[in-house]
Amino acid sequence: MDTMCNKPRKQILAIISFLFLSFIFSANNVSAADGAKIFKQNCAVCHSLGTNKLTGPGLAGIATRAPGDEWLKKWIKNSDALRKSGDAYAVKVYNDNNQVPMSAFEFLSDEELTSLIEYIKAPPVETPKGNSGATGDLAAAVPAEQGMNPLALLIGVIVFLIVIVAVLRGVRFSLKNLQNEKQGLPLEEAVGPWTELKSWMSVNKTKTGLVILFIVGGLSSAGWYALKGIGIYEGYHPTQPIAFNHKLHAGDNAIDCQYCHSTVEKSKTASIPSVNVCMNCHKGISQGPTTGTAEIAKIYEAAGWDPDKGAYTKPERPIQWVKVHNLPDFVFFSHQQHVKVGKQDCANCHGDLKTMTTAQQVKPLTMAWCIECHNKTEVPGMKDNPYYESLHKKLAEKYKDQPITVAKMGGIECAKCHY
Amino acid sequence: MNKKVTRIISLMAVFGCVTIGFTSCSKHDENSPGVEFMPDMYRSPSLETNLFDVIKNEDGSYDTVLSNRKPVAGTIARGYMPYAYPNTIEGYEAAGANLRNPFSKSVVNLKEGEVLYGKYCSACHGAGGEGDGLVGGKLPGAPPSYKTVLKTLPEGKIFHSITYGKGLMGSHAGQLTKEERWKLVMYVQKLQGNDAPIAAVAVDSTKTDSTAVVVKVEEPKK
Repeated sequence: MDTMCNKPRKQILAIISFLFLSFIFSANNVSAADGAKIFKQNCAVCHSLGTNKLTGPGLAGIATRAPGDEWLKKWIKNSDALRKSGDAYAVKVYNDNNQVPMSAFEFLSDEELTSLIEYIKAPPVETPKGNSGATGDLAAAVPAEQGMNPLALLIGVIVFLIVIVAVLRGVRFSLKNLQNEKQGLPLEEAVGPWTELKSWMSVNKTKTGLVILFIVGGLSSAGWYALKGIGIYEGYHPTQPIAFNHKLHAGDNAIDCQYCHSTVEKSKTASIPSVNVCMNCHKGISQGPTTGTAEIAKIYEAAGWDPDKGAYTKPERPIQWVKVHNLPDFVFFSHQQHVKVGKQDCANCHGDLKTMTTAQQVKPLTMAWCIECHNKTEVPGMKDNPYYESLHKKLAEKYKDQPITVAKMGGIECAKCHY
Repeated sequence: MNKKVTRIISLMAVFGCVTIGFTSCSKHDENSPGVEFMPDMYRSPSLETNLFDVIKNEDGSYDTVLSNRKPVAGTIARGYMPYAYPNTIEGYEAAGANLRNPFSKSVVNLKEGEVLYGKYCSACHGAGGEGDGLVGGKLPGAPPSYKTVLKTLPEGKIFHSITYGKGLMGSHAGQLTKEERWKLVMYVQKLQGNDAPIAAVAVDSTKTDSTAVVVKVEEPKK
């Protein structure tokens, strides 16, 4: 019993120790691993391990470029001091990089610097996330072409029915005449379909009336809905010059709406972010999970950013976004009032953009829609805002025990929005 | 009689289907806003914010330009105060040595700073300031933590970094006013572990600010 139990245990022990040893040997350098950590914490914000420039130059080939490890250590500790001491290569690096000095890292010990330099010289080879994967994702992200056009389907069905009716009429006519011939009765004359329909209609007056009623009713209801949709953009979902994915940014990455639409609490409009806001993150992120580098390259194009040189060297070209939510000029609307004092969530009017890709208008933005909300919504930001203190007191006295809605404080007066 | 009723019902069903077919067959074009009644009232000739305008050049060609024009060179906005420290390493050090927060530490200011931090910083720097934000993890290097590497960063340097950007971080001066930036600095210091007591009396900003020219922000009146 004992031996039976012991044997597998020993085997497991052996396997574990083997794995452990092989792990130690495969992680060829413990200090390089430390170097990786130091690099990520201190250097990666400005330097890449490749050849592309971020804020500082890419570090690939540093071992052959720089005068030596001791020089590198001095440079990392305090590049400014090294340059001012008259070191020729330090001055050259400084001038080559637009004379932007590197921060000093005096707190790094000598051992830490050694492991850091070791890591920079021989970084682990990253498995390239090539464009093939990205395009595959892109193909998956593009929705499949929608099924058959319903209009074509309907016309097809109608044509098919007409053909069947015509064929059946012919069959019935010849069968009837065949029977008449057999029984020795006089043959029927061929009657056109229209004449037959007319005679059927004169016999079946109720049915004819019903049919006409349905046709008229159907057409007028269709017309009524078509008229009601005039001037309403609900469902408007234009293609944008850059396929900006709201779900990815605001949903998956949980970036606040206001990070980009930063004037929503300060201005009438929520503002479409200028490209520098995109560049706050995309200076470092040049590849996305759904469209690869294609869409982000358009940001670089607009900002005039050269990702290889890591500098804004090209001409700027503003992105021509397509406006989705458009209120006519005869109505006043301010985001500031609604978001700052009214404390309305963006999703109340714009839908849940955290699940949308490009923005789509989901609410009708009609006056009836405005008033419906003004009639039932209170203003939460008013109670604790000293600016509205006396007004709120007056309203509270006037409407005892009733909720003070937007409508009660003049929110449905004509001149509030139309002037 | 019964037969007649079933016939009428089946007829109704057929025509109901035809009606639905007619009303639903117009395929909606996502790129079209739909039919507009009096479009000139929806799209007036006056310029709208954040849109584009077509201008005619002197040589007769046309250009599409932003409707928001850049102000004339040298324009100063109302209430604007220039920031005296240049975007250089010297400016950074000088800001760290001289700049002081014009706002006194108060519960209200800290709360505002926290809200702003949640909107403008936490995506990269993480809710607790440890550089573990969702976006921060996707950058080539995550931002350093306020609790370790940046623990002793003085307030002036924090303000300077938000104003001009630092490393991979871009300038946030366009998104945040000077007042907002200072309130943010206050909250970042709290994340650094700075537990200086909340001042009982509001401090006169001009006295503590050794570079009074630079920031003359008054504590908002209540």
